[in-house]
This record gives sequence, structure tokens and C-alpha cells, in this order.
Amino acid sequence: MVTLKIDGMPVQVPEGATILQAAQKLGIWIPTLCHHEALTPTGGCRLCVVEIQKGTTSQIVSSCVYKAEEGLEVQTATEKIREIRATILELLLAEAPGAKVLQDLARDLGVKPVKRFAPRDELCIACGRCVRACSELVGVSAIGLANRGYEKLAVPPFYERAEDCIGCGTCVEICPTGAIKLIDIAEGETAVAADGRTIQGPARIIENWKVDLKLRTCKECGEPFAPENQLDYFSKEAGLPKDFYDICRHCRT
Amino acid sequence: MMKSSPLTHLEKLEKSGQASLFPNRIKITVGCASCGIAAGAQAVLEAFAKGIKKHTLDIQLQKTGCGGMCHQEPLVEVWIPGKVRLTYGRVDKEMVQTILTAIQKDAVPEGALLKTPLGAAAGICCEDVPDSSSHSFYSKQNRVALRNCGVIDPENIKEYIARDGYQGLALALTEKTPAKVIKEVEKSGLRGRGGGGFPTGLKWKTCRSARGKQKYIICNADEGDPGAYMDRSILEGDPHAVIEGMVIAGYAVGASQGVIYVRDEYPLAIERLKIALDQARKNIILGTKVLGTDFSFDIRISRGAGAFVCGEETALIKSVEGECGEPRQKPPYPAVEGLYGCPTVINNVETLANVSAVMAGGAARFSAVGTDTSKGTKVFSLVGKVNNVGLVEVPMGITLRDIIFDIGGGIPGGKAFKAVQTGGPSGGCIPAHLIDMPVGYDELAKTGSIMGSGGLIVMDEKTCMVDVALYFLRFLEDESCGKCTPCRVGLKRMREILEDICEGRGTAKDLSLLEKLANTIKDSALCGLGRTAPNPVLSTIKYFKNEYQAHIKDKKCPAGVCRELVQYAIDKKTCIGCGACVKACPVSAISGEKKKAHTINKKKCIKCGACSEICPVGAVLT
Amino acid sequence: MKLPRKNKVDTIIAQYKKDSGTLISLLQDIQSEFGYLPKDVLSYAGQSADIPLSKIFAVSSFYHSFSLEPRGKHTVSVCTGTACHVKNAGNLAESISRELGLDKDEGTSADGIFTLKKVRCLGCCSMAPVVKIDGDIHGGMTQVKAGKLLHHYRKDSK
Repeated sequence: MVTLKIDGMPVQVPEGATILQAAQKLGIWIPTLCHHEALTPTGGCRLCVVEIQKGTTSQIVSSCVYKAEEGLEVQTATEKIREIRATILELLLAEAPGAKVLQDLARDLGVKPVKRFAPRDELCIACGRCVRACSELVGVSAIGLANRGYEKLAVPPFYERAEDCIGCGTCVEICPTGAIKLIDIAEGETAVAADGRTIQGPARIIENWKVDLKLRTCKECGEPFAPENQLDYFSKEAGLPKDFYDICRHCRT
Repeated sequence: MMKSSPLTHLEKLEKSGQASLFPNRIKITVGCASCGIAAGAQAVLEAFAKGIKKHTLDIQLQKTGCGGMCHQEPLVEVWIPGKVRLTYGRVDKEMVQTILTAIQKDAVPEGALLKTPLGAAAGICCEDVPDSSSHSFYSKQNRVALRNCGVIDPENIKEYIARDGYQGLALALTEKTPAKVIKEVEKSGLRGRGGGGFPTGLKWKTCRSARGKQKYIICNADEGDPGAYMDRSILEGDPHAVIEGMVIAGYAVGASQGVIYVRDEYPLAIERLKIALDQARKNIILGTKVLGTDFSFDIRISRGAGAFVCGEETALIKSVEGECGEPRQKPPYPAVEGLYGCPTVINNVETLANVSAVMAGGAARFSAVGTDTSKGTKVFSLVGKVNNVGLVEVPMGITLRDIIFDIGGGIPGGKAFKAVQTGGPSGGCIPAHLIDMPVGYDELAKTGSIMGSGGLIVMDEKTCMVDVALYFLRFLEDESCGKCTPCRVGLKRMREILEDICEGRGTAKDLSLLEKLANTIKDSALCGLGRTAPNPVLSTIKYFKNEYQAHIKDKKCPAGVCRELVQYAIDKKTCIGCGACVKACPVSAISGEKKKAHTINKKKCIKCGACSEICPVGAVLT
Repeated sequence: MKLPRKNKVDTIIAQYKKDSGTLISLLQDIQSEFGYLPKDVLSYAGQSADIPLSKIFAVSSFYHSFSLEPRGKHTVSVCTGTACHVKNAGNLAESISRELGLDKDEGTSADGIFTLKKVRCLGCCSMAPVVKIDGDIHGGMTQVKAGKLLHHYRKDSK
């Protein structure tokens, strides 16, 4: 176990726990964006930064990756930290002005849009949660963060159909800004794909990854419920019998 | 008891190296580093080979590395046995003939720039040629890391050994424990030459005591600072100095594997390294029994793929591992957790070239040079608006004035010195009034710049400091890995504001917004690239605020650089009516009669600068 | 993929597996062979070497040495290092771009003969501004000299 102080309050956490986890234990709120408890933290958005003191040296670090150390002193809301958070949010607001999570954070931290930053109409803020989820949780690594610098965005390989996507929708759930668009169309409905093809329902369309996948229809209730690819992948990974996913979860119970 | 001591093994090679270094016949060396080759050294080398063959002359001809006088490339040296070696500059095919003809007549070829005696017992020769020790370019230099560059054949390990090469390693293996080696390096006061200035001995100590069976030594040869080519010159001119440094480091920290991470843009350096590594293996300097001892060490090369950020330690590690070069937060530091999660020492090329010198000559000799906090010497690439562009190595503590005006020969065209940029994109501009400051890590940091890897870009009155800030921002924006918000987004927004300023759209609030963004990025970026990215902007605002104000308030560029704020015009008094500008203009915007003053049609003019470039009398004004 | 092409890629992959190479070294070998990184080759290589295509694309698009588009017969690299910048490399690069009929700073000319790239620092600062065409470095460049040089290479290409 390791004992450290956050905002003057002592807290004990197991070795390997991060400052963020220690703060959460104390009920101290630190804003986050690229962090998700189910994923390996990367510390990129820098919204969760805190000031740490070790002896005479102080440093600004992402609390979601920094491992708690014995005797560490952490400040989560100094003036410097507040200024940093505000500026980072100003920058992100101009990137994705339509993102509710950013609007909420801005309201909570008293931040307003900066007129000098011409807004970009791009909901993806390159936090990488979808990429990490696809790789670590789902295991198919269908998408990635391409390019470097300002053009860094979550994209399908070569900006073409992500062939390895199974349509599970984990990325949609985990994206903090709602940048990933997923729609299911029913039997008899049609839609037009990015390349001009007509997609016949029942199908799942994930626009960002240029993917459209046929949905399997439940043998019992006749409702389409999940992409064929997803069900095939899950049954293979879990070693389930072939007909396991012939009926949907509602009919299974 | 060892079968054969490491020192006896080297003795045999040393004899052979001496014979090659100091043959009993005339030797001619041609500077064949990338800069020499770019200036035409390959053709010079071939011309010598042809001439020697044609007249069946008994001359030893070989390649050498960069001697430092890059403004005089192609450089050739004629070694007269038992006497001197004479340096000739700007050698062309005609001069090759002159040299060979003189040698055939047993005469000393005319036109030498300087001479260097071959040993203490050297006979007197060429009294009219200045000695290198008193020549203005070399007299204030002290070549330690560059000791062999331009002297030895970089593709011959024996010549390296003949000049005390691998002596340091042999001494370390025979007389010192790893802990003693670390103590020696600590005592020397050597600090990282890549830019960070971190004490090398301390880094090694940390790695030695870190937990882990497998440890690594990485040589950072990703020299990314534009205008800096110190490391390239060492790798092309004296690769063994770096290899020796790595093996010593491996012995000291307990690492058995080394990696040299070289920039993709340095193909000749990679080639010379491959040859050197091969020779090192053949001579048991690398392998399972280094110099016959139980110590095992080998090195492989890892090529970069065009990313400045991979000069940052943690990004470099990711690149060696084959991934995108994205840095991670530190701690943990690579000395504790590095390549493949193992304790790793990452040292710069110049640092390692100094290590081999420290172990061979001792810490006391090394630390006798320099200042209290910056020991030893530093290699600088002196470039930009300076007469004697080249690679120089000077003792720490020397002043910028000494470097720029004495060694560098001052500013060409009689223009006024304005500033010198140090530390590359992570550094700042030091203005003229600080030119007498001593060069050292802490001293440079106090001005708002950094030592950096050693690029010294000299700027004159015709350099716009706001344009320089914009240049660096564009560079950093292009090289940002994109992982963290402050750098990825913040630099872009800073660049937008600077572009507005340079194009006449700056507003009164811009400077304070720039400073606010700069301070946030400085405090909160994830890695060193981001945290130092605002330095060029902050330092130019600090020392050249009047230029910023001129751009913002008056919509003028005092240096005449920023395109939107200047007008090209021909000075009627100076123009000789030669018509060169008319031919050069891509949009036919210039007109005029022969031998009469020409004029530029401002409406057609696209401000490309072609006319200004070609005018033989400097009649084009902005 | 046609057989000769497939064989070339198979050889590269076999070497990569033998050397325990990295994804970067694999991509460098592919680019050495094909002049750039063709999509079909990357796809096939990913399957053979068991590397997700998303990762291949992430690494290929991160590093500027890699080109995902075919390059022209000659690569023209204008050094835009600081020493060259203060000697008007920016204007020089623009003039070459104009000469090649490009609408951007970098790209391949319509006739496929030249690909223009701005590179960071070639380390030949004593000869600033510097332009490299394929393996040859040309120093002391001016806009007029550059135009003549391109003309010379273009004539040779015919």
C-alpha cells in the first residue's frame, strides 16, 4: 500500500494505482476525457493534469497515468492547473463546438469560446478511446489513429471500409463526443453507402468506418438484432456452438 | 588470467594503423563527408585517382571525414611524410592537376590554406603557410569529439586505433570495475550533448542500479534540429569513437545490447556505421568476448523514418520498437524503464564520442577545460549569415563573439549582426547585445534559450525575427506527434496568429494571446518537444518586441521579408539595366531598356524574390 | 496480386520474420522495392505477417519518409532547414512548385516526372540553399538555377 496526500488530505491506495484513482477514492473530482476505466490510460488530453511535489521539485503530470508514490503531495486545483484546464478546454471547444461533453465541461469550469479560434467542425478529438477499445476490449483492431499532429484522427485504414470491423458498436459507446455515427436499418429499408452502392436492410451502418454489415434476424421473434460478423466473431472467440446466436437475447430468456 | 590482454590485441592493430596514417610516401586525403560530397568531393577524388594512375605516382589516396571548414569544401590535405599536412580548399579539377604536378616535381603544391605538423619531431616546411594552431578558424578550437574527423580514414579501424582508439575501452576492461568507470564519467562532469545537458554519469548510475537482467544502450543519432549536423559529421568521420563510447557504457551499466537509432536522412552515416560495426566485430571489439574478456556486447542499427519527435527519448524507444513515435509521460525514466520495458541508457552521438575520450585521457584532463557547471568542449554547427560556415568545437565558456566573429569571420556583405539562434526549434534567439556571454548550459538557459544539440544559426539585419518565429512554429506543428492537446491544437492556433501577424492581419490583443497559449503549452505539454515549442516565440517577443509591434500596428516588416508587408522595387540609382531580372521574373512583371534603370509592375509582381536573387548589384529593394 | 509482385513481397516478409524485424523496417523494405507503399502490398503483407491493417496505416501515415502515393521518376527535395530558410529556401521551394505546375507545396507533377518534397535538414548548411534531386545534392541554389536544373533532368527523362 502507498500513502500520499491530495489537496492536503492523506489517502492510501494499493501499489500501481494512479493519482486519479486515489483522488476518486477521496471523492475529489478531476475532469477527464481520454481516460476510461476499462482502457489503458495514455494521458494525452491533459485535462486531468495535477501539480505534484516530490521534495523540492514540482511537476505537472496527467493524473490518469502517474502511479501513486509514497509521500507524494498532489494539488488538483491550483491557479496554474485551473488556467491550464481552461485553455485546453478553449482549444478543444474550438475543435468540436458541437460536443455536449465539452459544452458541459466548459460550463462547469466557466470557460467560454475564444473568438480568435476559428471553429473546426470535427467531433473527433483524437482521444483514441475508440481505437484502444477496438484493440484492447474487442480484439479486432479495425480502426486506428492516422497521421500525426493536427490531422491526427480516428479513421478506417486508407480511409476505406474497415474490413475487420464487426459492427459491435463498442466504439460508439465509448466515444466521449459522440463522433461515431451508427444506424440500423430494418428489413425492406435501404440506404446509400459512401461508394454509391445501395445497402439493403436489415443492416448496421457505421458511417465513420465506411462499414455496412448485414444484421442477423432472430429465428424466434424475427427481429434483426446484431451484425452477422459480430456474432461469428464472438462465437469463435468464446468457442460457442454454431447455432448459439440463432436467437436474440430477449428470446433466450 | 586472460589469455591475451585487451591492450596487446590492440597493439598489433595500432602498428598497422600507424603505417597507414603516416606512410613513408606522400598521402592525399579528400574530405568525403556529406557536405564535401555535395560540394563535389567525389569528382575530386576520382580526378586524383585518375592522375595518380596515369603518371604511376607513388601516392596513398584516401577518403576522410569533415575537417570543419565547410565553407572551403571540397577540402584536400597533402601529407608530406615527416613534415606537415597541408590543407587546400575549394579544390577543383584544375587544382588537382596543380597539386599532382607539384608533387611530381618534388615541390610543395602552392595555395595551401594552412598546415599542421605531423608529430613533434616534424621537420620545418612551408614557412609562408599559416599553422593551424594560429589560423583564425582553428586557433580558438579544441577538437575532442571531432579529434579524428578529417584526419583518419573513417573506414579503417586501424587508423582509429593508431590514434588511441579503443584505449579507453581497454583500460576500462582491464583496470576498472563498472562502478569505477561510472565514477570516472561522473568526475569528468560530462553532460548530455544532445540538448538536455543531463549529467551522463548520473544517468549511467541510475541505469546500473535499476532492476532488470537485460539492459540496453541506445545511441540517439536522430539529429533533427535543422541547421545542426554535428552528429552526422562524427558518424561519417569517426564512427568508432561512438561505438567505443557505447561499449564502455554497456560495460558500465551491465548492458549487453546496443542500438544506434539513425535518422533516415543520413544514408552515408548509416553506410559508414555498418562498415565500422563489421570491422569492430572482426576485431573482437563487439561480440561475446569483447577484447578477449568475458564481457559481451553487440550493436545493431535502427533506422528512423522521418519524424523529428523521435529525437525525444520515449518516442525514440517506440520507434525502435516499430511503433508510431509517440512519447509518453516521464517518470518512469528510460534509465529505469526503457526499450521493451528494460533499463536503457540513451546517449547522444557527441556524448559518446566524448566518453571514449574521457576514458582514454582521464576525467581530470577532460574537466580541466570548460566552466564550473559545463565541463569540456561543445561541437557547434556555425551556419546562416556568417562568413566561415562550418563545424567547430570550442571549450565551454568561450563567448558567442569569439565563435561568430573570430572563428566565423563575421557577417557577410558587411551587414549588421542581429541575433544567433541556438537550440533549434526548442531554443531561442540571443540578441546582439548579449554576444559577449559565455557559452554554457546554464548561461544559455538564463537567456530563455537552450544549448540544444549545437546548431548556431547566425542572423543579420535582413532576417525578420517574426518570420523566424513563424518558421519554427510551422516546423513544430508539422512534427508534432498529435498525442496531447496543448501541442497538437495549441501550436496550430499559435501558428495561425503568427501568420496573421506576418500577413498584416495582426491585432492588438495577439501578443497577449500568444503568450497565454505559449505558457499553457510550456507547462502542460506531454513531452520535451511540446514544452519547449513556445521558446522561439517567447524569446523573439522578449528581445524583438519592436518588430512584432511594427508588423501589428504599422503593418510593416522592417527586415523586408514578410511578403504581404513588402513591396519589391528597383533602386534607380543602383540598377545597371543588365536585364537579368527581366529573364528571371516568372510573371514578366519587370520592364526596362538595356543599360537603363528597370521598373517592377507592382500589380503583376508576385513577390517571389527571383529578381532580388539574380541582381548582380543588389538593386532590388523590399 | 500478380505472381511476380507477390513473390517479391513474400521474400521481404520472410526476411522480416528471420530478422525479427519491426513494422517500420518492413515498411522501409517494401518502399525500397516498390518506390512507395502500395495499398495492395500492405494489405497482403499485413495478412502474411499477422499485423492489423489499421496499425500498418497508422505507422505509414505517421512517418514522413513513407509515401502512400506513387512517386515521380525524380524526387526533388528542397531543404527547408533553418540555415536554408534564412537564405530564402521558402521562395525557392515555391518557385519549383510553380515550375512543376503543382497547386500545393508538395506533390507529383502531372507528367509524373518529378515529385517535390520539402525536407527538414540535409546537413549541408555551408551550401545553403540546398536542393537534392534523387541522390545528388546541389548547393547555392537560386530560382533561376533550379529552373535550369529541372529542365536538364526533364530532357534526360525523354
